Amino acid sequence: MKQTENKQRGQVSRKDWYQLDLSANVYPTLQSRKFSSVYRVGIVLKEPVNPVLLEQAFHMTIPRFPLMSSAIHKGLFWRYLEPNHAPLPPVMEDIINPCMPMPFKSNNRYLIRLYYFENTFSLEIFHSLADGTGALYFLRTLAAVYLRLQGHSIPNGNGVLDIHEPVPPEELEDSYMKYARSLFRPKRAQEKAYRLRGTREPFYTLNIISGTVPARTLREVASGYGASITEYLNSVLLYALMKEQKSRRPSRELPLKIAMPVNLRRFFPSETMRNFITMVYPSIDPRMGDYTFPEIIQQVHYYMRYYLNNKFLNADITTNAATRTHPFIRVVPLFIKDLFVRQFYIRIQDKQSSAGLTNLGIIDVPDAMRPHVDHFEILMGQPFSARTNCAVCTFGGQTVINFASCIVETDVEKLFFRRLVQDHIPVEIKSNRTMEVL
Amino acid sequence: MSYCVNCGVKLDPSLTRCPLCNTPVINPNEMEPNLQAPFPYPKKRGQVDAVKRTDLAILISVILIGTSITCGLLNLFVYRFGHWSFYVIGACIVLWVFCTPMMIYSRLSIYLSIVLDMAAAALYVGIISYDRPGNRWYAGLFLPILLLALCVLLILVFTIRKICRSILTGATALVIASGIFCAGLELLIRRYFDARLYITWSSIVLACCTIIAASLITITVRTRLREAVRRRMHL
Repeated sequence: MKQTENKQRGQVSRKDWYQLDLSANVYPTLQSRKFSSVYRVGIVLKEPVNPVLLEQAFHMTIPRFPLMSSAIHKGLFWRYLEPNHAPLPPVMEDIINPCMPMPFKSNNRYLIRLYYFENTFSLEIFHSLADGTGALYFLRTLAAVYLRLQGHSIPNGNGVLDIHEPVPPEELEDSYMKYARSLFRPKRAQEKAYRLRGTREPFYTLNIISGTVPARTLREVASGYGASITEYLNSVLLYALMKEQKSRRPSRELPLKIAMPVNLRRFFPSETMRNFITMVYPSIDPRMGDYTFPEIIQQVHYYMRYYLNNKFLNADITTNAATRTHPFIRVVPLFIKDLFVRQFYIRIQDKQSSAGLTNLGIIDVPDAMRPHVDHFEILMGQPFSARTNCAVCTFGGQTVINFASCIVETDVEKLFFRRLVQDHIPVEIKSNRTMEVL
Repeated sequence: MSYCVNCGVKLDPSLTRCPLCNTPVINPNEMEPNLQAPFPYPKKRGQVDAVKRTDLAILISVILIGTSITCGLLNLFVYRFGHWSFYVIGACIVLWVFCTPMMIYSRLSIYLSIVLDMAAAALYVGIISYDRPGNRWYAGLFLPILLLALCVLLILVFTIRKICRSILTGATALVIASGIFCAGLELLIRRYFDARLYITWSSIVLACCTIIAASLITITVRTRLREAVRRRMHL
């Protein structure tokens, strides 16, 4: 059966290979023995997961998402994705240290892993394949196919794709190159931001602190400050970072910036399942004076209002696209590009933000699927440097806020959740930490 | 289910301490810790998959074996002067030992790897000595030097892996090892030429190494000095 499926997959996508999109080009450059840009999306069902059915659903779903079954290869000038006809990776029992590095040549060259644990199944994806939105489409379709195999009737739509329809080319397009049309390319501010200093955990350790809050209360509190949920959570994180920096009594304070990916599909009519995000950096600068929490919210609110529109974002992705289209850059051999991009990331890009926050918003599923799903969980994965990353998603009235870090200290998480409690938002905490926090 | 008295967050029943502030969970109604509460995360630890490079190892082996056989046959039947093919075959063996064992067995111990590499080097120089005999230089000089290098290298690798915790301590170990190797080298050369056993040129190297090692140890021990060096020398 597996051989037939693999043959079918081969027939579907034999002619195809895909250039990496604009974002996807950066992630393999950072790849090392100790780091991969891997993130996780998970779905928690109301009943324990049957791994046999899950594997069957996985085999049925994957031909609909050809990029998910592709392997990354090196060309002379750029990397590219190629359909992978090797047997699919097995569904595995989940582990305590998720988002482990993903060497390109292991796992039959697949860049995804599927885990199950009790009621949950989780998908780990190398970021070059898709962004969170693309991964969520795959996860919801997989969950729908799994529930259908259990005998439930789940319709397509609301995030669930029809696994029998051919793959529309729009889903595989590089939307960056399609929509980057600005005549003006703004320069980037490259000021260093405050960076957390923490004790690194041993290799293979990813500390997770997960907070669940009622979505309605969160929305009401955010509205009380005149902000959206994303603006409010960004402000809380900035507030936590500000307090953390002050507690260290630095001789000179640095600006605090949050790297926040923005889903560009909200601003451009793209249907791509690949990466289509850009980063914005809501920030405060304590050198200008102390901020109160309402002031931080105001700052973040106006920053978002000013920058999040299709004109500015178009100009931003055009600046990025220029590096992909520049004739000189194109002819530089890949190993030299790798060298420069990696150094640029380490020395400039990574130093531009103090923490990361992503909010995938309210996750939609078909109504018939809703009674079977408890909630979704998103993990941003191992941070490149010693810091903490926060991923947020909402489903069924619960907002799950997951912090992932490779450091022992939990000051930022502590200040973050304490601020929510201070605003009368009830928080329920769980964690995979097995050691005592310093 | 309990709340953290410091943070005010509700804690999962599996938690015995608040993961945010490390405050122990003490519920007056449940003084015995609830060990039955299920841990909400898996307990199994994952390991990164090893990259299989067996195919590359096979390709390299085929190329090297092909080269060796071809040169051997050419030496036997076409270009019959001397034992020139021994050099090529020896080089192929050395290359094979240097490159492929790690590809075939990725968990190969680094110590065994070093011993194998040294053995390959001994074999290659042995081939040269077979072709160019005289003065027993191979057994009298080369093998003792190789043995010394092997011992120093094994101790250095062990020290760097197990004892050294920073670049500075690693550099100190390297400098000390270099000094010891140079002194040993000179003594072995003198022994081979039946000269008196004392050190001349290597004493200068040894003195330099001692000064550098002492400086590095001082920098390592003095925190402020170490931080100053780190600031000024960062790459």
